[in-house]
Amino acid sequence: MAIKKENSKDVIELLRRMWLIRAFEEKVSALYAERQIVGLLHLGIGQEAVAVGALSLLRADDLVYGGHRSHGHAIAKGADVNKLMAEIAGRASGYCGGRGGSMHIVAKECGFITATGVVGGTIPLALGAAFAAKERKKGQLTVVFFGDGAGQSGPFHESLNIASLWQLPVIFVCENNGYAEFTPLSAHTKIERLAQHAKTYGIPADTVDGNDLFAVRATMRKAVDQCRAGKGPIFVECLTHRMRGHYEGDPAKYRELSQLAEWKKKDPIARVAGALKRQKALTDKELAKMASEAQALAERAAQFALASPWPQADAVADQVYAVANT
Amino acid sequence: MFVIRHFEENLVGLHGKGVFGGHYHLYVGQEATGVPALACLDADDYLFTTHRNHGHLLARGAEPKKLFAEILGRVDGLNKGKGGSFHSVAPGLGFLHSSGVVAGIIPLSTGTAYASKAQKNGRLTVCLFGDGSLEEGAAPEAFNIASLLKLPVLFLCENNGKYGEGRAVAAAQSGSMAAYPLTDLPKAYKIPAQQIDGIDAGLVHATISEAVEKIRRGEGPQFVEAQTVRYPGSATNWPTVPAPTDTTLAWDVSQVPENAREWYRSADPLLVYVRELVEANQAKREEIAALESQVKSAIAAAVDFAVNSPYPKPEEAERDFFAKSPL
Amino acid sequence: MRELAYYEAKFEALDEIMSGDERVHLINGTFMSLSPHRHVYQNLQKKFKERIFSPPISELGFCGLATGAAMAGLRPIVDLSTGSFIYEAWPQVANEAANAYSMSGGQTRVPVVFHLFHGLRGGGAAQHSGSPQAMLWNVPGLEIVIPSSPRDVKGLLKSAVASDNPTIFVDHTRLLEIRGEVADNDKPIPFGVADIKRVGSDVTLVATSYTVQVALQAAEKLAKDGIEVEVVDPRTLVPFDLVTILSSVEKTHRVIIADETHQSCGVAAEIAARIAETGFDKLKAPIRRVSTLDVPVPYSPGLEAHIGPSEARIMDAVRAALA
Repeated sequence: MAIKKENSKDVIELLRRMWLIRAFEEKVSALYAERQIVGLLHLGIGQEAVAVGALSLLRADDLVYGGHRSHGHAIAKGADVNKLMAEIAGRASGYCGGRGGSMHIVAKECGFITATGVVGGTIPLALGAAFAAKERKKGQLTVVFFGDGAGQSGPFHESLNIASLWQLPVIFVCENNGYAEFTPLSAHTKIERLAQHAKTYGIPADTVDGNDLFAVRATMRKAVDQCRAGKGPIFVECLTHRMRGHYEGDPAKYRELSQLAEWKKKDPIARVAGALKRQKALTDKELAKMASEAQALAERAAQFALASPWPQADAVADQVYAVANT
Repeated sequence: MFVIRHFEENLVGLHGKGVFGGHYHLYVGQEATGVPALACLDADDYLFTTHRNHGHLLARGAEPKKLFAEILGRVDGLNKGKGGSFHSVAPGLGFLHSSGVVAGIIPLSTGTAYASKAQKNGRLTVCLFGDGSLEEGAAPEAFNIASLLKLPVLFLCENNGKYGEGRAVAAAQSGSMAAYPLTDLPKAYKIPAQQIDGIDAGLVHATISEAVEKIRRGEGPQFVEAQTVRYPGSATNWPTVPAPTDTTLAWDVSQVPENAREWYRSADPLLVYVRELVEANQAKREEIAALESQVKSAIAAAVDFAVNSPYPKPEEAERDFFAKSPL
Repeated sequence: MRELAYYEAKFEALDEIMSGDERVHLINGTFMSLSPHRHVYQNLQKKFKERIFSPPISELGFCGLATGAAMAGLRPIVDLSTGSFIYEAWPQVANEAANAYSMSGGQTRVPVVFHLFHGLRGGGAAQHSGSPQAMLWNVPGLEIVIPSSPRDVKGLLKSAVASDNPTIFVDHTRLLEIRGEVADNDKPIPFGVADIKRVGSDVTLVATSYTVQVALQAAEKLAKDGIEVEVVDPRTLVPFDLVTILSSVEKTHRVIIADETHQSCGVAAEIAARIAETGFDKLKAPIRRVSTLDVPVPYSPGLEAHIGPSEARIMDAVRAALA
């Protein structure tokens, strides 16, 4: 692991952020089990290195689009965990006033433009943001996250083609966790690496170990530099694994237990912690403290959310159409 | 090829006189692809084609008079006047459906291939489309599924390139497709793909024969990109005829307007084939001229039939859009 | 006569259909969405392995495949699962499948069934709670089937597969657990035949899909106040049985239409127009619609419950009609 290329103070902050995502997701899961959260829920436990690794190199004014498994992306971009939890819990104090829920998070203030419930649905949208950014000429970048399941969808290909033709400043980050819902990638396509698709359209592409924070950062650093210099889109494929089922409640019988055990050994958080320990940058005690601080923040977010009022039913039609600014 | 060429040129005349309206698309300049390719198929194979379908239907044996009638919206047309140019079908010849939506037929072709594989009837499907179709998401979705299921489908892409700049341009990087060469797209799905000169009738026949053989052996989908140079009469939205075709053009283009001469001289597949036949002593100029003359008469008669065919009754619009229920 | 759960009747139908006709293939989902009973589908997968295909996430691609396969003589049933996902396949459904028979002058038949789950599911939010049947009713060439009971789902699924036309089979996840009677030798249910789910004399309440069940519950409560509601279930939107509804209106003179599609240009809107055009003289009160409000479906449970055709809104409408 290329921790040597990183400043250990930075790494500690990154770990703290990864822990926050982990603790947040585990808290969401607990609330779901208690039926305090309902509906469709997709957790990113085990994929924290991609979110934090990819987004830690962006500017505040860069834009991010996610998919249905995007709590971590929003947090890594700087979303407020209280407002995020409240949204997932359907409360009026949530980012979208309770109207969006888990799959439709919008935290515009920190540049997390939107998630989506449609596989690959934000990829064409990200192109639009990149197009506008190119017009503005301020070096603004757009990053869009999606999974391996999106690789078989037509709009994904259309977007690669257009991004390449118009040399748009967009970074495609594919979280290849080997499963599209309940099906292994191999049952959906003969292609093993989605980076191959990018190359077909002339887009430079890399495949990295998505559970290695430093590898993700190194690749993203190159991608960000190139993209900001106006050299066109880049594709980064991160190989990773989701530790839970596709959605909360999915018993994931389609996955072999041995596979899960293998991936547990590659836990991204454990790897960073291990690297910091080996460098003597943090002790076991400090690491444990970091974890419990993250859990405390998640707990506080849960309490904030559950104490928040529900949105008013008779105001349900209020935010359907924007009112013109006259 | 003469049938197609004279059919299409007559169509321009009919449109010019206002005999029918709407958009239409000519197969002029691509005859050496469609004719030899479709000759490699069996009678019960399926074919799907696009808005540029006249050449394919005629190559497969559709009656010119019925195709004219359909384009003119008459009751004796292939679709009884309900489809028009874009949607002309001939189920008996394997054309179940034509789509006017770019790439609309590509997923459909995986369907008939899926059905024939399931029914084990040995029928293969040919999907005929242009280079533009590859820009639609439907194309990679279909390639992926075809490769995954090893479907018996031949994807024949007619890349008719840019007008007026010689054959080489058909192979050029397009302003609307970043992938280049186009064969990279099917190859990404491990579908064997090759590029050939679509103006060389003999090469087309040999290539498609081989591809069809492979599919019939169960090797899964194949992709062939046949390159031609776009007909100068297609340069605008409404087709025109720079010079009416005649076998003499094979040796003398002085009657052709200067800006179109190069195409007739080097990129017109029909004229290329005529010259090949004569140079190989397989036919004499007079024989070819006589054949062409016969075709011209037959086409004239077909036009006559169509123009005199009645329009369907207006009430027909309200009929025949649901198949009757068995219950 | 047996009492079956809706999902049991549905599986029975699929099993019988698959056993009875080799041309039937199943494409995509389990026809059970995320129901805890969906593992039952594995029995079908084992029994009919060669005729069940699980495609990649390519709705446009596999709906086109199903359409093409139908043109070539198979009778595929595609499970789109979440109804909103039909938007990804719209060109193939609305522009190819729907048009093929007509624009070929009657030569090419497309016996494909597109199955989907529509409506408010409890936390589905805007992109997973769509009811596309209203938009699809506006596409000539598509049949639309919309069951509400175990007997209906079994009988209608059989007819949908037997039909030579492209058929949209509109189901609802909230129906999966309800129980009802299914005959031992049940017959396919013809299209265009509405079903009177509850006889009444005071108000005609036309409802579709899961809203039929909500309507029945509302009717039970209203009966305690001496109001007898007649619940009429069209069962198919295309073809549509107006005659049964008009007979009911002739008896009651008042009609409420309750349905989960959004109000504007919704299913209730079309039914209301048809009743008004031909049954105006039978009415003693304006036709009332109880539809989902014209709002993108919000996530929060209270908001979602507020916008749908709830029992309370239905009862209010009935009372208003009698006032």
